[in-house]
Amino acid sequence: MTGGQLTAAPAADIELGRYLSSECMTCHGAAKADSTIPNIIGLSEMHIAEVIKAYRAKALPNPVMQSIASRLNDEDIAALAAFFATAKK
Amino acid sequence: MTEITRRNFTVLTGASLATLSTSLFAPAAFGQGKPRLVVVGGGPGGATVARYVAKDSAGAIDVTLIEPSKTFTTCFFSNLYVGGFRNLKSLTHNYDKVRKAGVKVVHAMAVSIDRNKKQVVYSGGGGVISYDRLVIAPGIDLKWDSVPGYSEAAAQIMPHAWKPGPQTELLVKKLNALKDGDLIVMVAPPNPYRCPPGPYERASMFAHVLTKKGHKKSKIIIVDPKPAFSKQAVFMDGWERHYPGMIEWQDPKIHGGIKGVDPKTGEVKTDLATYKAALVNVIPAQMAGKIARDAGLADASGFCAIDPENMKSKVDANIFVVGDSSIAGDMPKSAFAANSQAKVAAMTIRAELVKSRAFPARYSNTCWSLIAPDDDIKVGGNFEPGDGKIKAAPGFVSQKGESADIRRQNYKESVDWYSGIVADIFG
Repeated sequence: MTGGQLTAAPAADIELGRYLSSECMTCHGAAKADSTIPNIIGLSEMHIAEVIKAYRAKALPNPVMQSIASRLNDEDIAALAAFFATAKK
Repeated sequence: MTEITRRNFTVLTGASLATLSTSLFAPAAFGQGKPRLVVVGGGPGGATVARYVAKDSAGAIDVTLIEPSKTFTTCFFSNLYVGGFRNLKSLTHNYDKVRKAGVKVVHAMAVSIDRNKKQVVYSGGGGVISYDRLVIAPGIDLKWDSVPGYSEAAAQIMPHAWKPGPQTELLVKKLNALKDGDLIVMVAPPNPYRCPPGPYERASMFAHVLTKKGHKKSKIIIVDPKPAFSKQAVFMDGWERHYPGMIEWQDPKIHGGIKGVDPKTGEVKTDLATYKAALVNVIPAQMAGKIARDAGLADASGFCAIDPENMKSKVDANIFVVGDSSIAGDMPKSAFAANSQAKVAAMTIRAELVKSRAFPARYSNTCWSLIAPDDDIKVGGNFEPGDGKIKAAPGFVSQKGESADIRRQNYKESVDWYSGIVADIFG
């Protein structure tokens, strides 16, 4: 992705991200270093978006995450990624 | 937003001050002060709503949680206590962090709701509290008479252990006292009930404990009023692999009807046979908590109809019902479901009280069940409003023949999920 495309992209909807993130926090709220459920707070937008899209495409294996990701559209994923990138524990 | 300094704030007119007050705090439509949310019940549904509304409204909504107990022992994972994998302390949580999120926690029993006055009366300290919005999350009550011969007193001999705490401890005490060759009979509940896979995970944990003690002749019979149960194929496959011949499940076609129990003799009577058991675990039929029923929120089923778009009671638009007390369509009665419903309710409540944005409701659920050490199965999926109910989208369920690695990973995931959800509920 080029810088020009980044500038042209619509701003992610942080409030939507906050609402959608509540579903994630059911499992991800207490992630420890050795947890099977990783911490997602403070991760980069690009990393979060890539991982969710990989679950949506079933390129990553966990059925819980595949199910959660299956109903997220690109706008939802951008909103979630933007929210978690700026969220604090 | 225009910056408001002390200097220009003091010269605002009365009219503009009123406008400012509305735009900043938006409580004007609800009279003096902040709008008030009262939540009855501090479990996975109630505590989640209270904490999310307080946290996300940053003090703009006055949130009070009424819960009699100072600590909450989770029903979810209590089967792992039965199996010896957890102690009760690890399943017990306090409300310190709920308070820290800005919730006023009142340890009292909510005794009645006056829907016309929009007030809740509570005991233990005594008082009346008014609300702009009310959340009811009292969980379940047991229908003692749904199994002839059973009663609250009989539960001291034949524990239900479907509400965690002393009942679960009694069940474990009785389980650990069994001798090889003893019989356990479980009377399973009819639908709908809390934790659909729970009775069958519990039977698995009974078998695990007996097997670990070296029992060769002990048996567990489940007499079930249902013709089928959650994750049945994978449970039964697991029972055959880990505990061959130990667990016998009888559907109504086999037992012909559950006639009743006799706590004095330890007998369970069905059309097929009378069993004299060393341990009888009766899980009766269930209904919404008393306060919800007394407030007229429950229908003939004993549970509370809700609007699938927002978890509002169909009876009263100022009241939300979340968790096991609600009729949540295709969603099971689980902590995961209650926590999910609570977030939809919290989002709607903030939108109504402080004009925050509302989004379409989305729900999800996953239930993990342990069959034997490191052999854990799961079922789950997404839910959304549809056809006038909360409707399931195609989900996932564990399959027979999965690798031991997948089942081990499921168990570890369930343990990590437990840490996550209790942090989400209680902070």
